[in-house]
Amino acid sequence: MPVDQYSDPFEEQLAVALREAGGAFDSPTALAAAGRARGDRMRLRRRTAIAGGAASLALVGVGGALLAPWGGKPAAGPSSVAASGSAKQAAFSADDVVRTLKKLLPEGKFTESEARGTSEDLPPLAVGVFDDGKGEGSVSVGLARIPANGGEITPSTAVMPCPDGEQTGLDSCKTELLSDGSAITVYQGYEYPDRREDTKAWGADLVTPAGHHVSVIEWNAAAEKGKPVTRPEPPLTTGQLKTLAAASEWRRIADAIPGEEKKPVSPSGSSARPAEMAGWLILRKLALLLPKDLDRVRNGSQETGYGYFVVDDGKGASLVQVNVQPNMSDVAGSLYGSGAETLPDGTRVSVKQGPGEKGGAGVVMWTVDTLRKDGLRVVVSAFNAAEQDKTATRAKPALTIEQLRAVALSPRWTATED
Amino acid sequence: MRQAARADEYAEFAAARTGHLYRSACLLTAGDTHLAEDLVQETLGRLYVRWGRVSRVDNPAGYAQTVLTRTFLAHQRRRSSRERAVEAFPDVADGSGTDTPLRLTLMQALGRLPAKDRAVVVLRYWEDRSIEETAGAMNASSAAVRTRCSRALGRLRELLGEDIGESARP
Repeated sequence: MPVDQYSDPFEEQLAVALREAGGAFDSPTALAAAGRARGDRMRLRRRTAIAGGAASLALVGVGGALLAPWGGKPAAGPSSVAASGSAKQAAFSADDVVRTLKKLLPEGKFTESEARGTSEDLPPLAVGVFDDGKGEGSVSVGLARIPANGGEITPSTAVMPCPDGEQTGLDSCKTELLSDGSAITVYQGYEYPDRREDTKAWGADLVTPAGHHVSVIEWNAAAEKGKPVTRPEPPLTTGQLKTLAAASEWRRIADAIPGEEKKPVSPSGSSARPAEMAGWLILRKLALLLPKDLDRVRNGSQETGYGYFVVDDGKGASLVQVNVQPNMSDVAGSLYGSGAETLPDGTRVSVKQGPGEKGGAGVVMWTVDTLRKDGLRVVVSAFNAAEQDKTATRAKPALTIEQLRAVALSPRWTATED
Repeated sequence: MRQAARADEYAEFAAARTGHLYRSACLLTAGDTHLAEDLVQETLGRLYVRWGRVSRVDNPAGYAQTVLTRTFLAHQRRRSSRERAVEAFPDVADGSGTDTPLRLTLMQALGRLPAKDRAVVVLRYWEDRSIEETAGAMNASSAAVRTRCSRALGRLRELLGEDIGESARP
């Protein structure tokens, strides 16, 4: 609206004053880059939210809270879109997802707090308070589809793994195969791995051979965080969790999630590039390589190239991340300067100990950056904080440089059998 | 390859619009430049994540502004649900030496408005949006925006006086 349409001279003055005052704020130079970095983290979060373990699933709540105000809900009206052609699946609205959850829950009252359908940017979800008459708990169901990327999906490797070792932070965890080939992990854990509050988080994580991913979580409080415990245990038994996650209704909805845009598959003309390593595989390898005495608090990965664990040696959480990049020989010169070491097999190794890159107060980042002769770059970094952009929670990372080196140089990164 | 083109397009957009978004955020936060930075990062992050769609809307710059406004309002909502009575507004001066009396006076006055009223003022008089456009950006009804707007103008009049330029003169 042009300024001269303001009906009142005061409005006109206000507009002029705002322009003058606002125009004087100089934007910090790195702000655009920082915004992009934030976007990268959001992407990571929305992937880990669905792919991670019990603790990282709590991120669903975080991401949801951030995005809900403008995510909006699909328009009202008939929620099913008539199929056009053969490939197109009907869409499901947020209400459809909530209705399905209500139908599948045992007797009780479910009050929605957040929901998304299949036509939104983030995967479908229904979260709310569930009261079976014995106190309020909360239940969340998240749906996703795991892209096959040309290969087959192996549910047992794609499903959330039960942590190794004894100090897992979970009271129970079991992965089993169902008769239809799906794999399901049912676990009983806590919202806060350090149990600073007694909120229990129980869940079931299911992956079907067709790539449907169903993640159910429940809490014995009216919200996953910030609400008092209202009952000794979450409302659904592990058996009920399993039944809920395995319901065929979820698979129909997950089928309607629009696929990721096709990635260019080996463009003709260029020689075949080694494939990027899948995130889950990185996570699996990293899980096998991390020192066994570290408590694994949570983990997550991107679709390809990146995985992380937050570990705790008893002195506080420490983020350990791995980037794996194939075909990086051409940048060896710029990445590994004169200070880099070259091993007898030609692998280059560079070690850095410096401040973190994302602004967390007091955060240090220890990195071992390696490049094998075949161009495979494995970069392992550890931090003295659970997140790079949060304040440091301990003096040093939980792994020593020697341990990081051992992880980065492990032959496991080139082994095919993991 | 498409992804690379998209990343370039986003980078170009961010380079062109970040300054304006930051200035808007400074007004929305009544001069809290730290919060403004955070809001702009959050906004750019959101735009980046869904750039494929954002780049296809008619007016990505306007859309970015809407996202900023909603990010700001969501932040205020979260803050008010966790902390009670946040009435302390940060120091307006940002130490850059560019503070003018007008800016100080205006930021102080904006800081005394409720967050939603401030958002209405910024959208209407800084972004030059119509009542309807403002309502759209805020997920509110036109009537609600009109009410807020007239209330905010009344309050600003009280705080700044009839002649804004005059009130800022030392």
